[in-house]
Amino acid sequence: MISYVAATLVLVAIATIAGLALNLQWGLGGLVNFGLFGFYMLGAYVCALLDTKGVPPLAAMAAAIVVTAAVSAAVSLISVRLSEDYLAIVTLGFAECVRLFISYEEWLTRGTLGVPGIVRPFAGSVPPEWSDAVFLAFAYAWLALVFLLLRKITRAPFGRLVRATRDDATVAEALGKNVLAVRAKVFAIGGALLGVAGSLHAFHYSYIDPTQFSTTLNAYAFMAVIIGGRGSHLGVLIAGFTVILLLEGSRFLADVIPFLDGAQLAALRLFLVGAGLVAILIFKPDGLVREYRLRSGAS
Amino acid sequence: MSGLVLENVVAGYRGRPVLHGVSLSVPARGSLTVVGPNGSGKSTLMKTVVGLVQPQKGRVLLEGEDVTRLDAPGRARRGLGHVPQEANVFRSLSVSENLKVAFEFIPARSGATFASRLEAVLALFPEIRPKLKVAAGHLSGGQRQMVAMAAALMPEPSVLALDEPSAGLSPKNAELLFAAIARIASTGVTLLMIEQNTRLGLAVAARGLVLVAGQVKAEAPATDLLSDGLMQSLYLGGH
Amino acid sequence: MGQLIFNGLVTGLLIALPALSLALVFSVLRFANYAIGSMLTVGAYLVYAFNAGLGWPLPLAALAGGAVGAGLALAIDRLVYEPLKGRGGVTLLVASIGVGIALENAVRFIAGSSTRGFAVEVARPLRLHGLRINQEQITTIATVLLALAVVWIVFRFTRLGRAMRAVADNADLAAVRGIPRRQVVCAVWVISSVLATLAGVLVGLDGNVDPQMGWNYILPVFTAAILGGIGNPMAAVAGAVVLGITEELATLVLAPHYRTMVAFAVMALLLLVRPTGLFAAQGTAK
Repeated sequence: MISYVAATLVLVAIATIAGLALNLQWGLGGLVNFGLFGFYMLGAYVCALLDTKGVPPLAAMAAAIVVTAAVSAAVSLISVRLSEDYLAIVTLGFAECVRLFISYEEWLTRGTLGVPGIVRPFAGSVPPEWSDAVFLAFAYAWLALVFLLLRKITRAPFGRLVRATRDDATVAEALGKNVLAVRAKVFAIGGALLGVAGSLHAFHYSYIDPTQFSTTLNAYAFMAVIIGGRGSHLGVLIAGFTVILLLEGSRFLADVIPFLDGAQLAALRLFLVGAGLVAILIFKPDGLVREYRLRSGAS
Repeated sequence: MSGLVLENVVAGYRGRPVLHGVSLSVPARGSLTVVGPNGSGKSTLMKTVVGLVQPQKGRVLLEGEDVTRLDAPGRARRGLGHVPQEANVFRSLSVSENLKVAFEFIPARSGATFASRLEAVLALFPEIRPKLKVAAGHLSGGQRQMVAMAAALMPEPSVLALDEPSAGLSPKNAELLFAAIARIASTGVTLLMIEQNTRLGLAVAARGLVLVAGQVKAEAPATDLLSDGLMQSLYLGGH
Repeated sequence: MGQLIFNGLVTGLLIALPALSLALVFSVLRFANYAIGSMLTVGAYLVYAFNAGLGWPLPLAALAGGAVGAGLALAIDRLVYEPLKGRGGVTLLVASIGVGIALENAVRFIAGSSTRGFAVEVARPLRLHGLRINQEQITTIATVLLALAVVWIVFRFTRLGRAMRAVADNADLAAVRGIPRRQVVCAVWVISSVLATLAGVLVGLDGNVDPQMGWNYILPVFTAAILGGIGNPMAAVAGAVVLGITEELATLVLAPHYRTMVAFAVMALLLLVRPTGLFAAQGTAK
């Protein structure tokens, strides 16, 4: 039971970090990333493959963060000349390509066999019975770090610039701001966070295979951002802890509701995510917490 | 009987009024040109007339009927024809399709057929007859303006509202267009026009109205306004 | 080589229906409908229900499924897209993502995740001038060409078609010309969902009916629509055929499971080089 709760809490932290990444890219920057799971999967695999080749876990994680950041920036540049509509399909297309590549390039990723034996950070210096607790703390330390980092970025001049390019790219351009560079940076930072989330995923399961990565993560992240309030990191944090906890916790219900099997329950859960997403867009477009704005009249 | 009446209209954007109680009346088959400096609220007035802006106060009457609560398609179906200032043709449709689509969604008042209306507007605008199969986006600015006006006339509107017809046209094209507007006025349609070019605009209308800062400053026969030197130097500028 | 081009042509025609559907919705409602894949899946399952469930012959089942699918699309528009009208393309796009997730999982919930197939007799492939032609390919070609012809005629020669093109071209002017936007939007959803349902049937005939089937087509469908210049419905068809043949020819050098990558590469290249689409008419583009 305790281990179930701990595992659920880790998954909540991971999904919330993904939600925060999306909040930076879409909430703050107006850039719809519909391929979150691809960057996440990329991060998980880079981390896992290096880790199982003997690279120290933290170094493997750092490498995953760098790779996903760089790749994210590169992908955002594909749609430089276009509006956000296209970025959604470009990121989705990229994610599908990542999934295909990892599924079929067995020489590198072992394909559908998956990558077993991923070593968690501090595994050597922590007694095995404490491993889950230490990892839980590790995941939450990352969540806190990510949250504080994003809050700092948002309140810095760069955050204002990001919002300005979201609200009116033409005006920002006219004011001499390089919209392209801003977008690439936003995507890179968001990608780095997805690298964090992916690495945590690899460490958490200690075995990864392509079937673990699906659009469920997309759904959770969009849910967290829309419920939390676009642009509000605090809102996303709260939404992550209520909604994703509820959704993940509902795996329980399989034992309670006998006439629904596990697959049906999973489908029902995702159905509710989709319908909930739409309902919030319609009825509570600002989400739980309003976006942070400078109090001065500068806005 | 009145063609078009505005009674104490207050209208604007996001609750901020641009028009502060504007009243005007165009008699049926009459014509009125609204002039005024930039920012006086002329285009807001036009949008309020055609139903793209809802007035906060006041009433809009079309042939004696209160249309204040009707939206743009609703007013169009009651016989209000409108030629917007910009983007006033469907660029990807051919000229004849532009005319057809303008005709077929508004019940014909006299029961006229498409063919007879087409002949009637082509008689007013003979210049566009050879262009019927051409995509409207490929026409020159002057030709587009004529197609827009012809399209607005297709369903035989009782009132025609023209928004800055001379905008973006060369002086020669503007002269040609206003000659056409004079022909239209003589067909018996009620004409409301907003125009920057006061000389051309007032020349084709029976009456003129000067709008300044969202209020009516003067309303008089167009010839009086044109010859009133004080009025010209104050609001109309230039010659 | 000839066989590859022929197969590519058939694949392209298959993609053409949802690509046309996507471009049609984009041109009138001004948002990228990410639920297009799920609409295809739902359509296939609806037809499957009439075909395998009630034992109706496939053409009849397709008609019934198309009708139910159209009703569903209208209901979704009323519940989701109409209340969000005017809130910007990105909000509608995200809403369509939600709709897509909900639809796909409604299918999973009701029908389960196992793969199914339509109840049709298996026929032997034809041989023609050295080409091997499946029965399904013939069905696909005939159905798609017929559907495209109908849509084209509606577009070109009917009052409804002119109204749709007018709203797509300039919605404000269309309002001034007395064109009722609401009716046009409803017509667009009906056409769009029928096209998606037809595509679902054809995809199901070609392979299987499963909850993922539409999702697998999202990328090629968007690529085809972008190739044509999104918002330019008939050019999306040309884009689809080009993409289908490219994908098929790419199997000469790439493993077949990497066809999605080909679609992505084509799209990425196109967006970098010619973002208005290959077939966008010059001068009349807005």
